[in-house]
Amino acid sequence: MRLLWSHGAEFSFRPGEFFGRGEELSALLRVCLEGKSGIGASVLIYGPPNIGKTSLLLKLKLELQSLPETSAPPCPFPFYYSFSKILSHPLALSQHFLQEYLWQLLVFLGESPPASFDLEALCENLGARGHMECRDFMSAHRRYSEKGDGLSALANAFSFPFATGGNLWYPVFLFDDIQYTIKLQNISDGAIFSILRPYIKSGHFPMIVSGSSPGHVTSSLKREGLYGSFQLVEVGGLSPAASVKAWVPLFERRKIRMPEHLMGRAAARLGHVPIYQRMFAEEVSFRNGQMEDEVGFENLYALSVTEGKLNRYWREFFENAIPDRVNRARAIKFLKRVICDQFPIDTFEGAFSLMGISPEEGGEILSALEFKGLLKSDFEHIQFIRDPVLADFLYWAFERGVLGKNTPQVAASIVQSKISRAPLEEGREEHEKSAGVAKEMMRRWDCREVPALLFDFGRFREKFRGKGLLEIVIGLEGDPGKVKLPKISSVSTGYRALRGGSRFDFDLVAYGFREGDFSEENLVIWAVDVHTEKTIASAAVEHFENRCRLLSLEKGLKPGQLAKWILFEGAADPSVVDLTARYGIHLTHRTQMRLFLNLFGMEELEKGQEETRPPEPRGGEKPLEFELVLPMKADTEVVAARVAEEVAAYASLDKDTVDRIKMAIIEACINAFEHSGSQTGKVRLRYILSPEQIELFVQDDGKGFRPSKGDDDAKRHRGWGLKLISELVDDVDITTGEHGTTVRMVKHLRSGHGEGSTTSNDEGQ
Amino acid sequence: MSHLRVRTRKGDGGIFVVYVDGYLNSLLGEEMERAVYGVVDAGGAGVVLNFEGTKLINSIGISFVIGIVERMRERNSTLAFCSLSRINQELFQMTGVSRYVRLFDTEEEALVFLAQSV
Repeated sequence: MRLLWSHGAEFSFRPGEFFGRGEELSALLRVCLEGKSGIGASVLIYGPPNIGKTSLLLKLKLELQSLPETSAPPCPFPFYYSFSKILSHPLALSQHFLQEYLWQLLVFLGESPPASFDLEALCENLGARGHMECRDFMSAHRRYSEKGDGLSALANAFSFPFATGGNLWYPVFLFDDIQYTIKLQNISDGAIFSILRPYIKSGHFPMIVSGSSPGHVTSSLKREGLYGSFQLVEVGGLSPAASVKAWVPLFERRKIRMPEHLMGRAAARLGHVPIYQRMFAEEVSFRNGQMEDEVGFENLYALSVTEGKLNRYWREFFENAIPDRVNRARAIKFLKRVICDQFPIDTFEGAFSLMGISPEEGGEILSALEFKGLLKSDFEHIQFIRDPVLADFLYWAFERGVLGKNTPQVAASIVQSKISRAPLEEGREEHEKSAGVAKEMMRRWDCREVPALLFDFGRFREKFRGKGLLEIVIGLEGDPGKVKLPKISSVSTGYRALRGGSRFDFDLVAYGFREGDFSEENLVIWAVDVHTEKTIASAAVEHFENRCRLLSLEKGLKPGQLAKWILFEGAADPSVVDLTARYGIHLTHRTQMRLFLNLFGMEELEKGQEETRPPEPRGGEKPLEFELVLPMKADTEVVAARVAEEVAAYASLDKDTVDRIKMAIIEACINAFEHSGSQTGKVRLRYILSPEQIELFVQDDGKGFRPSKGDDDAKRHRGWGLKLISELVDDVDITTGEHGTTVRMVKHLRSGHGEGSTTSNDEGQ
Repeated sequence: MSHLRVRTRKGDGGIFVVYVDGYLNSLLGEEMERAVYGVVDAGGAGVVLNFEGTKLINSIGISFVIGIVERMRERNSTLAFCSLSRINQELFQMTGVSRYVRLFDTEEEALVFLAQSV
């Protein structure tokens, strides 16, 4: 059996994605070819892990293999061998080394190597080609192995008669991961170099050695008196031009689009290191993300670097670069703030204090991150606090203690400046009112069609500047552009994702369905920000757009599934209006909002009163229908209960009846959560209120209530759920089909108001 | 969303009052269980569970209550409930809990009852 590890690197090497390194390659190639005339040298390639040393060696191997046939013999036989940390025992290493050498030699000679990767068989094959010395050699190796004499076996393997090619070929050693040879059991550091010494010195066997721990390697070379025979080549990031080129095949393969002007920035962000670029491309393709502009790229980049569950590659990087667990966590958190939240840092001291760390520890972390190119551009365009959006974020973070225990002076001073900015604070109440009114109106949308001009401040202003109200109303009606609103199933205020941060901090987030059809395809999310300041800043729009993209990325929304809407009251610069248009953000000014509200029978907020309840349903009126979609998450059933309470309030039901309905709906939801095995993780509820009854539907898309088989939860439950429901409401029926289970519950209201329940004593309403 | 709040107060004569505030679901149920068993293990003579602040109870919460009732009966500890809202009282009737535990309107009444029976 052929061992896979040294082959692994060769398999994952994609020549088509190898870019740049022209200088290094030609220098190395020259060294290798000089072996022909006995003046070949040896080279030590060094550089940090993952920088591309292996790729360079493999590319060199390819180049050597594809030399033009015309060149006179002897020709180079490039032998690539990667020392592995697994092979720390000299016997295992010697065995594997020989296998690899013989196998690659056979392939080089144009033989088809034996299927079984067995030394004897390899030897036979070579012997058949006249390489008889191989057999004697092998029998010696076997003897040492049987005796367990590791050092002799190793000396034997590495003093293989490499010169058997005579005038036809000569080996070129491409030794990768050489740092592992210093960890061989019971063998001194430079043993291998010592064995290979005559070959190295001869000039006929060029050797390219690569390793990420050059200190160790050079010291053992020095000890062996070989240091002078080695040239040193440092491998760093690619040249900017080469790393930009490297994007093209990476993106093509994965069908990712990136505008050309972004490529330089993207390459710089990844330190011009090819493997990072590849990993980034993989990440983007995995997320199916799009990078149409800087914001798109930065978001994906930030996600790929700082995602809570870091991907394997970044995790490895952080583990290698920052071994201390606590510091690593700090570094990741710090990066999140810097990259995701565009946290401003004007000094390194600021950065250290943000990490809550001493300057010594901080210096190490920053240099690790800088090496990776993670920080470069952030430190380049550092700008300080004048930005209201950032200040908002800081204030938010400060309030919630997100900034850590040693709250940095930076943040504290920002918070102070924020607090001293009285006007904003005064606007707080107004802001909440505006958001509240918008929320109420969105609930009433119900698939209605409204003039598109209500969402397009730019066109609205152009068309109606200086016009009277009547003219505007008529103009709006006459305008052909219409927008079909969704049916909103829930609106939440101050939506925040679990992972925290200001990234998802919208004033309102509404879930709705196009065409009123509650299906996954028709789901739309409306993200809404409300601005009550005197003028709306373009930074605020950028920030909003940024959060929107992150939201749709995280939620995996398709284009068109996220509607972005900014409501504002003050003035807007034409450039801000343009910006919103470019990002496809709906922009509605207070004047438009008044008209909008009017369409839904709502008044402006100055009146200051609570919005009036619609009239109570009377006999003969159409039933009122409410719908809600719940995620199957612990405690969301309480939301369903709250909605039930609100719905019941329309009919002025007595408290006891309301409580029973709440309990019944809670139980039905819990049942759906626990027993449905739903795929989508959603439960749909409908509340239908008529003068005679309240009808509740709880519908999931699972496989139906499975009678539980003695598992813990079921024991706890003891089947109370359904029993309670049947006690709490007047009728229950459960229908289970292919598409899930629906529990329908009916509570009769008899006289229509309050007296419906068995205990109609209205205490404590 | 759930307000995880269970408080314990030590009354006279080794009797403890455990207040259960919020939505009695599995989380709060566990908390309540822990508080009650903690009191009993510490040698409390009797426990009053005060449900005045219990806004909602679901079936899982009820099963915790049943568990406590069973355990207390096994150990011959005295238990009483007080300050139940009407719906919660009804729930305890539907599930049969009220057959095994005395329910009182006020904490004082419950304490008087326990002081006599301990």
